[in-house]
Amino acid sequence: MMDPIEFFGNHTFRMVFLGTSVIGLVAGALGSFAYLRKQSLISDVVAHSALPGALLAFLAAVLVLEVNGRNMLGLLVGAIITGTLSALFANTIASRTKIRIDTAMAISLTMFFGGGMILLRIISQGQFPGKGGIDEYLFGNASVITIADLTTIIAVGALALILMVVFWKEFALRTFDPDFSTLLGFRARAIDTLMFTTIVIAIVIGVKAVGVVLMIAFVVTPPAAARQWTNTLPSMVALSGVFGAAGSAFGAYISVSLGSVPTGPVIVLTLFLIFLISLFAAPRRSIIATALRQARARETLRRELRSETVDK
Amino acid sequence: MTAAALACHTRNLSVAYRAEPVLHHVNFEVPVGSVMGVVGPNGSGKSTLIKAMLGLVTPLTGRSEFFGHPLDKVRQRIGYMSQSTSVDWDFPTTVSDLVTMGTYGELGWLRRPGRAERGRAIAALERTGIPDLANRQIGELSGGQRQRAFLARSLVQEPDLYFMDEPFQGIDAKSQQAMIEVLKDLSLQGKTIVIVHHHLATVRDYCTHVTLLNGSIVASGPSAEAFTKDNIRIAYEVREGAEAFLETAG
Amino acid sequence: MSFLLGTTLLAIVTALACALPGAFVVLRRNSMLVEGIAHAVLPGIVVGFALTHDLNSPWLIFGAALAGLLVVLSNEWLIRTGLLIGDAPQGLVFPALFAGGVILLSLDLSHVHLHTEVILVGDLNLAAFRQLVVNDVSIGPRYLYVMLCVLAVNIAFIAALYPKLKITTFDPEFAATLGLRTQLLNTAFMFLVSVTVVAAFHAAGALLVISLLVVPAATAHLISHRLSVMLGLTAAFAVVGTLSGFWIAYVLNAATSAGIALFYGVMFVAVAFADKLATKLRRKRRVEVDKSAQGTKPAVSEAKQLDRSRSKNKPQVAE
Repeated sequence: MMDPIEFFGNHTFRMVFLGTSVIGLVAGALGSFAYLRKQSLISDVVAHSALPGALLAFLAAVLVLEVNGRNMLGLLVGAIITGTLSALFANTIASRTKIRIDTAMAISLTMFFGGGMILLRIISQGQFPGKGGIDEYLFGNASVITIADLTTIIAVGALALILMVVFWKEFALRTFDPDFSTLLGFRARAIDTLMFTTIVIAIVIGVKAVGVVLMIAFVVTPPAAARQWTNTLPSMVALSGVFGAAGSAFGAYISVSLGSVPTGPVIVLTLFLIFLISLFAAPRRSIIATALRQARARETLRRELRSETVDK
Repeated sequence: MTAAALACHTRNLSVAYRAEPVLHHVNFEVPVGSVMGVVGPNGSGKSTLIKAMLGLVTPLTGRSEFFGHPLDKVRQRIGYMSQSTSVDWDFPTTVSDLVTMGTYGELGWLRRPGRAERGRAIAALERTGIPDLANRQIGELSGGQRQRAFLARSLVQEPDLYFMDEPFQGIDAKSQQAMIEVLKDLSLQGKTIVIVHHHLATVRDYCTHVTLLNGSIVASGPSAEAFTKDNIRIAYEVREGAEAFLETAG
Repeated sequence: MSFLLGTTLLAIVTALACALPGAFVVLRRNSMLVEGIAHAVLPGIVVGFALTHDLNSPWLIFGAALAGLLVVLSNEWLIRTGLLIGDAPQGLVFPALFAGGVILLSLDLSHVHLHTEVILVGDLNLAAFRQLVVNDVSIGPRYLYVMLCVLAVNIAFIAALYPKLKITTFDPEFAATLGLRTQLLNTAFMFLVSVTVVAAFHAAGALLVISLLVVPAATAHLISHRLSVMLGLTAAFAVVGTLSGFWIAYVLNAATSAGIALFYGVMFVAVAFADKLATKLRRKRRVEVDKSAQGTKPAVSEAKQLDRSRSKNKPQVAE
């Protein structure tokens, strides 16, 4: 294992560590709402569909604006647009046709991602400045995060978290009881748009460092783990963010220490480990806790039944 | 009856899910101060009627008014108790948080519930007899306690008109008794209550007015006039000879 | 056989092999589970290649399919714990398995040199490259025959178990009361889906094989009211979509599966719109009929009429 002083003394490693931690924090916190709305997999659709957006942004920057095609803000704007469109598209299919949401998500995902892969091929075959390594959007490359990228990630991530805090009451109500929220006069579409925009932001800030393929783990895994330890929404969101940040930081540290192993996948495995520990061993809600509780209850019951027979 | 004396009314309401019609040209009115039971067989559109009036389902035709105004003008005066199966009881939230949600409407966008709102939630829980459960996670409640928590949430809204969708479904006798006490109390205060109900035998005990529904209105009015054997037979499409069932219905 | 013809045939056979079980996947609401299976087979393929050194080996296909089945079984197990909600159980295991596969690839222990793009969207031309030669005559890509086998197995499975698949898809609890081994059937079916996914991996990769499975069936589902019709339309949409997508990819010089996925999506949207338009026209006609009926009869009797029509199979109550 690498010496922490050596690790943090290195500029690239610091960027990897900080960048992935912030991504983990934001995706973990906002993933809680996707989880509680029972639409965790929409994050997979959004992440994959961010690819054509990021690539179109690249083309627009290079061809129209003639600036650096790989700048973070352009990438984010493009990815947010196509990511949001894909989620809307899936939900529209599910609400307007007899196709159910799982199939609708599959249709949306493959259509956008298929388009993305075609764009990727067009870019890699064409003459575009700065196209080298653009296929890193697929699996991400945390070691290319620059100071400017990190600043953008932090700023945009903070914006998503601020939106979440400001509209906390509306998000919570709409997530828990959509009908009641509508009855109280809150516009369902307005809340949904806000909520999904923040979730999309949380997903797309990871595209450059983690890639579109594995981003789903950053959104789904921390809330599923955090839910086992907590019983209120604020504590769940906070813990999910902490799990996301800590898992990412730890995974980044390990991947850098091991050398040739890609960062994203190692973080995904770390997060999965956190989830497994939570699922099995969280003190109140977990497989072990449930088994113990049942065993105790059965023992009490058995004792009662025995004492009844003695009484007779 | 003049419009002023009506707590709510809807004219020519038709609803379809996809292409399937559920409600057909329904005219429905509820006098102020009445306890209106909406009764009918499964799939007769009872819940749909309430949801369409409250804008939770978009109707094909028809408009509804409350105290002579469209819904948007008088939302604060309307309470709604949805079916307890409509929410996820594993949601990480406590009973007092759940009840506090009743105040969110008057708070509007951005304002947060404070100590006053939490206090009202506790008071509502006291009225339904479960203040000691305030800090429990909602998943730990029994069926009856869940309904009482839901009732508390609509009490917090402090409305003049209550809509309740199957409030007595799957609950224990003690909870039912506690809730009926609250309903009687509300009725004495002059509040109007619209209650979707499926247990025929007890309709007369709670309701001053009854609407029999089966895709369209079969009968509607004061219990004595509307809730007759003939009407029930039509609404439930009962065969001749199945009288034993009707006897239990009174 | 010319290379272009061989490749086209391979694309069509692959699309058909995926689309037919896909019809049941869509009806069983397992679409996103296929997304999981397709990712999970990556570590299976990497490990399998390390052992067999042959990407076309039946053992590799079988072993990698087991990894896919792991996603199915873990999903069922996670749901049973009752500790998770929504579709999260489907999204927890496969990213970890896929991440494991990517790490294994990067460690280069197995010396599989799969390019990122090949992993994600496959490479049909590469799959079609090795020709089967009999008596010095090429009779098409070797892999075409592997896919033909998979297609044959899928057709045989569906044909043999059609009634059982139908009833367990429509009403699993009822099927269980009939004494059908629904769990066994489900596992066997999902294993077959896994095998198909692995076999199609070369042609479509981890990400777009789900398109081959789900989209033709979903498109057919839009406009069919019977399962047998739906299966026929699924096959038709698969063939049409594959040929058009193949052509798009050829013109744009892109991965074939990406072209097919894009075209499948467009085809779905077009059919959905056409169906909506047809429904709207039908409803409009019905409303007009309704209105003319309303004009001739007083509104009061209409409610009663409705009652009568609702209870037309029951004895009438005297009014």
